[in-house]
Amino acid sequence: MTRRPAFVLWFVLPSALTAIGLTIAMLTVLQYSVRAYVPGSLDVGGFTLDNFQDLLKSLYAQAFFNTVSLSFKTALFGLLLSYPLAYALVRTRTGWLKSSILIIAITPLFLGEVVRTYSWIIVLGSSGFLNSLLLAMGVIDTPLQLMFTQTGVVLALVHVTMPIMVLMLATGLSHIDPAYEKAATSLGAGPIRAFLTVTLPLSLPGIVASLTTAFAWTFSAFATPQLIGGGKVSTIATLVYQLGFSSLNFPFAAALSVAGLVLTILLLTALKRMTRSLNTVGGH
Amino acid sequence: MLRNVIALTLLSASLLAAANANAADKLVVSTWGGSFKDLIDEAIGKEFTKQTGVEVEYITGGTIDRLNKAKLAGAAESDLTFTTSHVGWLYTNDKLFETLDMSKIPNAANLVHQAKLSPSHIGVWGYVYTIGYRPDLVPKGLTFDSWADLWKPELKGTLALPDWDPSHIIAVSAKLSGSDAEHWEKGEDKLKALIPNIKSFYTNDANSQQLIATGETPVQVMLSMNAYHMMEEGVNIKLAIPKEGAVLGVDAMGINTGSKHADLAYTFMNIALSPEVQAKIAKINRGSPVVTNAHVDPEVAKLPGMLTTPAQWDATLNIDPELRAEKSAQWRKWFSENIMAH
Repeated sequence: MTRRPAFVLWFVLPSALTAIGLTIAMLTVLQYSVRAYVPGSLDVGGFTLDNFQDLLKSLYAQAFFNTVSLSFKTALFGLLLSYPLAYALVRTRTGWLKSSILIIAITPLFLGEVVRTYSWIIVLGSSGFLNSLLLAMGVIDTPLQLMFTQTGVVLALVHVTMPIMVLMLATGLSHIDPAYEKAATSLGAGPIRAFLTVTLPLSLPGIVASLTTAFAWTFSAFATPQLIGGGKVSTIATLVYQLGFSSLNFPFAAALSVAGLVLTILLLTALKRMTRSLNTVGGH
Repeated sequence: MLRNVIALTLLSASLLAAANANAADKLVVSTWGGSFKDLIDEAIGKEFTKQTGVEVEYITGGTIDRLNKAKLAGAAESDLTFTTSHVGWLYTNDKLFETLDMSKIPNAANLVHQAKLSPSHIGVWGYVYTIGYRPDLVPKGLTFDSWADLWKPELKGTLALPDWDPSHIIAVSAKLSGSDAEHWEKGEDKLKALIPNIKSFYTNDANSQQLIATGETPVQVMLSMNAYHMMEEGVNIKLAIPKEGAVLGVDAMGINTGSKHADLAYTFMNIALSPEVQAKIAKINRGSPVVTNAHVDPEVAKLPGMLTTPAQWDATLNIDPELRAEKSAQWRKWFSENIMAH
């Protein structure tokens, strides 16, 4: 039996302390979720399961549905837009083009989510950039209603998640040897067939990783659904904020958080199971 | 070596002592950030430092975030807190505010009765939530003489309401249904009838200002001070004062339990309520004076929503802050489930 060097324990210590802190925080939230709300006070009452019973109301069911729907659409559209960008980033041999794509892809990361979302309010508004452009081009007669809709929220969320998706996809694509595509081409496959039968399957691990990350990230997104949704697109995160921080009903907000966490775990587990076979296909 | 260690220890001890001495010379004030912090510093803080020689340090944050911090911190992180009147009741109920010794705030003798909030917190300025609108973007000839005008079918899909606090529109709906905030249930159907006209719910003051400035929501139930701010920025906004009265709001101050500088905090509060400072608050941010002896610039006093006489204060729709603190969660939950969900 070999003894583990002492310094390894020191390396583990920060993450262990963080894990303990997070566990305590989660247990506190769990404890709040089964306590009664006391009107006009920050203190909570005795044990109750009423908070979870209230979650069965249509508003909260709708918020759960909206959250899953937004996360799914954001991950899907984010993938469709990020993949070509990541592919171009990895495959291009022109230095300035590679740098340009990289800068365009990651610059939004340097802006906060709130700043990016406020920019989208200007773009998506009735007299915003997008509507003004479409009206000027004669494509539409009356402004499209993009603010305070799911479409507007998805558009802004795709922009928020794209930089991370591009980076994850590019990492996955960079591990694929271009010689595989060359081999396929030399055996008579056209560029599209070579891509569909060689590159795309081999990039599946990157696709799965970026989809999962985008899904989980969007699931907890707050500023974008709150500001672009304008209260008309309720999600779990916006309701938790409204109930906890506007109404001071911490027990109910905690119950909503716990239910959201359970749903996230279930969905990500299901996603992992579904994509397990794809990972095997992509592995090399 | 030993000499170096002793020297280093002495140096550290003196630095620590100096830091503590500095902390003792400061009054720590908890307030909102942005223009409200600037207002407090400009109108009250500078005068306080001038009179006492004591610096003011500000801790800023949202109303509820600061309340949570005060509750969780145990010991007072600040000496004095600015908050809204009904949230002040939450501080009071949870014993986060000291009971005030009013003899130490002589200027409070002139407070309007709406600003005498609880034994632990008093008003510092007033404002109203009322109908703000873009005359260039609403149907021509439309006026807002009554709150009932918000329900007009021609305003379909134009209105924004604050999403964090539905108490204003709940009180208005109850009033229009022949009731009051305490018996708010009588206004439920009236409020549900407003749903077609509601376009969105704004998240904060900045969001409110942006939505009305871009014309996205040309009609809002909005804070008068925000409307004046946007007018100064050149946005074409009008404030209407309905005949039933605009909804009164009072921002308040209280001394944190356990404050080691309570006497300085009393001095700060007294300065805040002096007629000169109250007039300055009206001039800078259009906050209505809460004392009856302030001399407000007539140009400012005549603005709609400015409350400079007891009669104007009495003409507002005043939701009892204690009731509001008690009902806030119930109102907010009902509003989410029955109004925002549609």
